[in-house]
Amino acid sequence: MNQKSFIIDVDKCTGCNLCVVACKDEHVDSSYAPWTKPQPEGGQFWMNVKPLERGTIPRVRMNFLPTMCQHCEDAPCIPACPEGAIKTREDGLVWIDAELCTGCGECQPACPYDVIYKNDDLNIAQKCTGCAHRVDEGALPRCVDVCPHDAILFGDNLKKTDAALEVLHPEFDAKPHVYWKGLPKPWITGALIDADADEVVIGAEISVTNLSNGSVVATTSDAFGEFWLKELTLDHEYRVDVTHANYREFSTTVASDRDQELGTITLKPAN
Amino acid sequence: MTKNSDRRIVYVSHPASGLARSNFPLECHVEDGKIVRSLPFYIPDDVRLYEIETTSRGKYSRPRKEVQMPLAFAAKQRVHANTRVKYPLLRDGWDPDNPNAAGRGSDSFSPISWDKALDIIVGQLEKIHDKYGSMEPVLVQADGHGQSGYLQSLHFWGHYLFDMLREQKGWGWWTQQVRNPDSWEGYYWGAKHVWGFDDTLGEPYQDAVWDDVLEHSEMVIFSGNDPEATGFGMSGSIALEMPKWLKKAGIKIVAIAPDLNHAAAVHADTWIPIKPNTDAALYLAIAHVWIAEGTYDKGYIDTHTVGFEALNAHVMGEDDGLEKTPKWASKVTGIPSATIKALAREWAAKKTTVSVYFGGPKIRGTLSHLTARMEAYVLAMQGFGSPGRQFLRTGAPSFYKKSLAQVPRYPDVDFHGLAFSPMIEYAIGHGPKSPVFIPRTLAAEAIQQRTISWKSTTAALAKAEDQFKSYRYPPTNDHPGIRMVWNENGSQPGSWGHGNNWLEALRSDNLDFVVGVHPWLENDLTYSDLILPAQTNYEHEDLVVVQRSDILALFYQETAIEPVGESKSDYEIHRMIGQRLGLGDAFPPVDEWLKKAYEGTLAFTRDHLSWEDFKKQKYVIYDCPTWEEWVGIKKEHGYSEHTGGQHWFWNDADGLETPSGKIEFVSERITKLDPDSVERPPLAKWLAHSEHADSEKAKTYPLTVMTNHPKYRFHVQGDDIEWIRELGKMRGDDGNFYEPCWIHPDDAAARGIEQGAIIMAHNDRGAILFGAVITERIIRGALSIDHGAKIDFVSLDNRQVDRGGCINLIAPSVQEKYKKGAEIAIPEMNISGFLVEIEKIDPAKIEPGIGMNYDELVRGKKSGDAA
Repeated sequence: MNQKSFIIDVDKCTGCNLCVVACKDEHVDSSYAPWTKPQPEGGQFWMNVKPLERGTIPRVRMNFLPTMCQHCEDAPCIPACPEGAIKTREDGLVWIDAELCTGCGECQPACPYDVIYKNDDLNIAQKCTGCAHRVDEGALPRCVDVCPHDAILFGDNLKKTDAALEVLHPEFDAKPHVYWKGLPKPWITGALIDADADEVVIGAEISVTNLSNGSVVATTSDAFGEFWLKELTLDHEYRVDVTHANYREFSTTVASDRDQELGTITLKPAN
Repeated sequence: MTKNSDRRIVYVSHPASGLARSNFPLECHVEDGKIVRSLPFYIPDDVRLYEIETTSRGKYSRPRKEVQMPLAFAAKQRVHANTRVKYPLLRDGWDPDNPNAAGRGSDSFSPISWDKALDIIVGQLEKIHDKYGSMEPVLVQADGHGQSGYLQSLHFWGHYLFDMLREQKGWGWWTQQVRNPDSWEGYYWGAKHVWGFDDTLGEPYQDAVWDDVLEHSEMVIFSGNDPEATGFGMSGSIALEMPKWLKKAGIKIVAIAPDLNHAAAVHADTWIPIKPNTDAALYLAIAHVWIAEGTYDKGYIDTHTVGFEALNAHVMGEDDGLEKTPKWASKVTGIPSATIKALAREWAAKKTTVSVYFGGPKIRGTLSHLTARMEAYVLAMQGFGSPGRQFLRTGAPSFYKKSLAQVPRYPDVDFHGLAFSPMIEYAIGHGPKSPVFIPRTLAAEAIQQRTISWKSTTAALAKAEDQFKSYRYPPTNDHPGIRMVWNENGSQPGSWGHGNNWLEALRSDNLDFVVGVHPWLENDLTYSDLILPAQTNYEHEDLVVVQRSDILALFYQETAIEPVGESKSDYEIHRMIGQRLGLGDAFPPVDEWLKKAYEGTLAFTRDHLSWEDFKKQKYVIYDCPTWEEWVGIKKEHGYSEHTGGQHWFWNDADGLETPSGKIEFVSERITKLDPDSVERPPLAKWLAHSEHADSEKAKTYPLTVMTNHPKYRFHVQGDDIEWIRELGKMRGDDGNFYEPCWIHPDDAAARGIEQGAIIMAHNDRGAILFGAVITERIIRGALSIDHGAKIDFVSLDNRQVDRGGCINLIAPSVQEKYKKGAEIAIPEMNISGFLVEIEKIDPAKIEPGIGMNYDELVRGKKSGDAA
């Protein structure tokens, strides 16, 4: 059977949180047997838009990671459940059978994505069902339906449509059915100034070399003297070379273990 | 009670509507008398959407899916909120012979019958009439910032009721509260005197402006503009599309604001952080660079403007000895001087548009009229109106009848497609109907002071001359002043300045009676003597007039659910009072009123869809013109295919609504009517004031608060919705939700404040508690706190503090700039850019206040109350 899957495009998400509210609107106070019992009024985020603040003044930006059950093919929560209550539908959506769940809580730490919640009133574990009840009627999951940016897509076997898709934390080896575009990669940014002239330096060449494989990405400083090299590979050493005909070259080496803000770099006149 | 066992789809106007207009409703599913879900509305395929065409940058349209802010999807939670007013409530300390005014805000309430409530109201009104001979001692506050539909939950009925009492019973005038142009303050009090646009709130018309921007602009400056928050709340999906249009067109977005706001955080190419309320200094330094380097449009200055030499002299320091260099501005604004120069050069080199939309930190602070004038100055220096150099609103297309829409629309649909409410004139009008009135910004002072005098009606659409006319309250010295308050807004302390003083005014002995009409116990409602239970939009039928969107439509809003308790619609409440007073025909049946309104629209007059069929069909959505049709329409208005905005003025060099017809660096009107004004001189200048970070006061209160419209609330609305609180608030260690206060890491470290700490912001006006959000999204020395949080007074070290986080409580009042008794020359609203200090507090020391909920505030339950 076709496998249901999601694609989340981080570059498109603006953090409006409509998906979070739509999910609550669908599930709080409403029961969709057998897939789920009602979500409590507050405290659960089957869809959780995780904000990621990056950078320091003035080069600061937000990324948002709309995170829900990754509907894993090898879901670690399934073997962790002593009651066999966590199941995979034929279409790949993972759900918790509330009739079998005893609320023991074993599944929560087993899930590496931290998306399972405990409903204390009903004494059951709960999570995103992929809106299985809607999918069965041919409707889209609520988070997908409400997203104004098409940042969350849903369909059959979506991974095949785009080779650039990633999964969240592949090291968990859970084979998620949620695929991601634009997952944040470390950046190197900074601004160039000619302190003597009190002018920003526009049009300098900034080239960044990955010291382990020699690959190079380059940009030029913009009208405000700023440069921004995104999409670096995590945990590598990079050499940054700043060149401009009127200034002495500037070089430094940084590690891409995180975003690197080089701050305001003062370039010295060439002569 | 009828039992609904059906499953229905009901289109409910979402609560961020207002002024009898709305954006698209949500598709609400109602089952067994309960709202089970709210879905986006999908514009059907047979409705023709527009497509803006450009020569080389592609085509631009909008999606058929229409969503609204999260609050709208969560609004159903508010229907049964624990603050919901279910019955008429009488304050326990109130007595007709002794109002015990000091008990307002702390007394409990008891439920009473509608019959008794109406008896009390009618008795109080008759008492006023008998004693004073008119309704002038009644201050009616009915001008918005609450949940609002077209007819039933509209907030303007108080004015109408008193107007009818005057007309039909000869009861004379009432004191009309006049709403100031609260989101466009600086443009109204300032920019109008530079560029006219006198039929607006001071911002330029938006005719076909997107055609021009998408074709020509190379840089758009978001001057505090936040489409992801304010735009989305007001206009729905289209506000989220517009920044994407700019990106698609390859236009650079430069955000200038103290905060990295929600739009800037995801859309800006460059963020230039600026100290709050210092934008005027930035503009002067930009002008300095252009003058020094000769990079402004000298031809345009000659042909399109008057008085430039005075600005030139001020910029170069010839009038005050202070040259407005980038170095000087850098100290004031916190922007590096090299960045100021870079911005000035980029602005001169690239076709640059400035984008503003309902508020932002720049435009609602002390003397923001000078800032707005400076903004108009620099726009003029680069040939304002030339291709790609425009003033751009991102959302809520213009509601000014003179102009074309921002995006392709048929003018006859703009003018005749929708049902317009005549009631709006009472609230956002050209001037007060009653000659006895006070500005909303001076409501507290009008109660507290024997007499106040000021200039301007402050009416949103008043002509610029009105700003120089003197008024006073009360109108005569032997007048009783305000003895009763009729509060339909429920938003004063959280939306306007110095809310604490407004609450103090409500406790004045001068007031014999305070009536509140509202669905919830919140804000200033608990300061009422009698509260009348109003309904939410889900509990009655109405029209939904979709005017805030780019696509125009009418929806029939069916009653979704049974009323909560004995609540009635705002309309019905006023109708009942009117009937008791013999005003039967002034309030016709709802269906009759709605039918008449509907039958004035094109859906009926042109398309011949009957009212009954419309109700069955539930909506009418108007087609947009094809590009060819639109180009034809524009031609009739003097625009070519790819021009819009102020292109006409660039062509004509004349015709602005200024005395000269040109852009006025030196205002002819101010020169004539108020030449010696220091705070608003004929030429806008840089003026320091007491809320600036280098003022004397800043030694005690060194941090400057900036306020935005909230992303998750709509003004004061929605703060009691659990899902919205989870998103918009911060959970403190004590388990309570706190309103977030953004603090730069350096400012937090200097005060020993860690992430998530509960802090108190305070100044001489009071103290408010917040949750500390330590972030790089705010410039050093400033705090960002959204306006309008729901008040929750508690006690801390024997001091009353607000745990709810309502920053407006301690924002400045207009009065502060003037000596008591002196005429208030500019009754502007100041709710951004003011000084406080913050400190960490121990939440264990908080002692609870009177409570927030119905069960805490209301004694005993009325018989028959199932809840």
